[in-house]
Amino acid sequence: MNNKTKIKFLKLMAALAVCAMSAVFLNIKSDAQLQERFPNLAPLPEVPQTPDNPTTEAKIELGKLLFFDRRTSGDVSTSCSSCHDPHKGWGDGNPVSKGYPGTVHWRNSQTVVNAAYLKKLFWAGEDTSLESQADSAVTGNLAGNGDPDTIEERLAQVPEYVRLFKEAFGVERPTYPLALKAIAVFERTVVTKDAPFDQYMNGDKKALSDSAKRGMELFQGKARCIQCHNGPLMSDESFHNIGVPKNPLFENDAQRQIALRFQHYARGVSEEVYRGADRDLGLYYTTKRPEDKGKFRTPPLRYIEYTAPYMHNGVFESLEEVVDFYNKGGGDDPRKSPLLQSLDLTKQEMNDLLEFLKSLSGEEIIVEEPPEPPYAVLDE
Amino acid sequence: MSKFHSKHLFLSVLIVFLTGMNVYAQDPPDLQPLPDFKEVDPQKAELGKILFFDEKLSGDNSLSCAICHDPSNFFTDKETMGFGYPGSLYFRNTPTVVNAHLSKYVYWDGRLPASDLPTLVRDHISEANFMNADGRLVLERLRQVPEYQQQFEDIFGGDPSYGRTLEVLTAFLKSLTSQNVPLDNYLKGDENALTEDAKAGLALFKGKANCIQCHYGPMLSDGGFHSLGVPENQDIFKEPERHITFRRFFKVFGVSEYANLREDWGRYAVTKEDEDKGKFRTPTLREVAKTPPYMHNGMLATLDEVIEFYNQGGGAHPNKDPLLKPLGLTEEEKQQLKAFLESLSGDNFSIKTPRIPGYQKRTLGQN
Repeated sequence: MNNKTKIKFLKLMAALAVCAMSAVFLNIKSDAQLQERFPNLAPLPEVPQTPDNPTTEAKIELGKLLFFDRRTSGDVSTSCSSCHDPHKGWGDGNPVSKGYPGTVHWRNSQTVVNAAYLKKLFWAGEDTSLESQADSAVTGNLAGNGDPDTIEERLAQVPEYVRLFKEAFGVERPTYPLALKAIAVFERTVVTKDAPFDQYMNGDKKALSDSAKRGMELFQGKARCIQCHNGPLMSDESFHNIGVPKNPLFENDAQRQIALRFQHYARGVSEEVYRGADRDLGLYYTTKRPEDKGKFRTPPLRYIEYTAPYMHNGVFESLEEVVDFYNKGGGDDPRKSPLLQSLDLTKQEMNDLLEFLKSLSGEEIIVEEPPEPPYAVLDE
Repeated sequence: MSKFHSKHLFLSVLIVFLTGMNVYAQDPPDLQPLPDFKEVDPQKAELGKILFFDEKLSGDNSLSCAICHDPSNFFTDKETMGFGYPGSLYFRNTPTVVNAHLSKYVYWDGRLPASDLPTLVRDHISEANFMNADGRLVLERLRQVPEYQQQFEDIFGGDPSYGRTLEVLTAFLKSLTSQNVPLDNYLKGDENALTEDAKAGLALFKGKANCIQCHYGPMLSDGGFHSLGVPENQDIFKEPERHITFRRFFKVFGVSEYANLREDWGRYAVTKEDEDKGKFRTPTLREVAKTPPYMHNGMLATLDEVIEFYNQGGGAHPNKDPLLKPLGLTEEEKQQLKAFLESLSGDNFSIKTPRIPGYQKRTLGQN
């Protein structure tokens, strides 16, 4: 590149930068434009059909039993419900999930509620169906540490399961992939779609308080939430770096450090990245693109009142802290999304926003743990 | 190829052939003392010993090697069949690890060669029904223990790795070799090393009782596989957790009958040859007096029961080895044979449970 072309190039870059900045500026300027640019908020539709695993009553019954059955883990200590406890918002209530015995997990346990609508599961979208998510959780060394072949034989040792698998799938013996299907079908019944917000959007204008209504306007306008939390799900199912602060747990807890390094090692990062590992790099583990470091999938916001603490590392205990975080324009990270800017919300506006967020939750969904159907000695 | 070379090659082939003939000519086979003990790197063996006792090597931090291979039980668990990972029970007897490195094969079905001990160790750590741990997770746990980090640095000049972990455990296993065994001393010329009963037992062993047909050489084992017709241990099928492990094992080994199988097919799982059904590895007899109960499924509780089993010509099985015939041993002969078997034990090992070092937090980002 000679000097002349260098200058031309720099001029071009400068022009592009001005364009980009003014585009961002324009976005701030008009709430109306903001609303038009993103998929509208809407009530939740019916749970999407899954033609390769249609919902039946028999599958729901089987999947519910399996969801609570500890024999789906390596040492029969941990069921899905151990970390997705209906009494804890279908998460585990901890900032970072407790994980399998002898280990600890490295991310916040996400709610099962409305996972049926998601096309990307886990904090960095590592799985794309509830069936494959269940597999990852059962076999993950920090989660279930289960061996599919052993689990399959455990299920075959339970006459009640043999009967239910036959009823649900027409098979003579339980299989592991079918167990995952049944669990997924059960999870597709753990849905809330009549939160006050949904009722409001379906025409009940009294379903939201005035404060919540003002919060909804802020959500789509001044607070800019809709840039990522949009559509019926209130998630673009895309990935963003918002600069979530580090959770001091990882500075202080030896077991968390093991979990963090293990994930780096197991996900195949370079030695340099492994040696420097001090935080969850999110989407980067999947793509290995530097610009994806620290990006996480936008979580949906239904049921949010029950699912504290918040963020992938559970660093915020309350919704107040979350709103405050966004009001300051998010955290401090060189790769932080330019969508995040300080919002200058007043105290009243923050309260209104909180009212709106709470209107996304609806009734608590409680499913009581059924007894585990027992093993039997098998006849010849 | 030059004329000289082809002639040379011919001679080599001839020599190899004749030497081979010579081995066959050693009929009946005889007993030999253990080869001289090869010192292992004491630093590696010492670190391996600590890791042998460390539960961080199991998936849920509940089991160490020493739980099933308990030094105070001569590196066995004394059970008829092993227990294994929490939530599961095993379907075969836990052998001692003493002298394991001198065997030809390991496991009752010989599914791994003993020459590859690191793989044997790895198999135990990762196998779902043994320790069920991911090697990468084990490694990160070790790296969280400053003492381990330092010891690996001292020995290898670098971080703990999974391969190095297997290597030090292997060094410890190799240090567990019988020493000062009466039979060996006798074979090396010490006439007083065996009692008169044991000497009579040795004669029976090589003669009337004909144990030597399969139990010969320095390990008192042919390294081969035989069916003796040991009765099936029905606990496998009466205890759900054992039956589960049993089915899972044969399924994973590709035995299509696994779901309804009611017999431990042993070697068959490895070879898929019908003639190998019910065959198990000839175990070494070294240290046999210290490792009850006996047989692949622990069905024989004492050496007396074992001797009586053979005296009756073994059990019943379609593949039973024709070498087994009723022996007609007198009570005195049985006791002499037992005295000989007891002369196969060397000095005890004084292995104390070491202090297991714990996790310490590290400086985040300096891994």
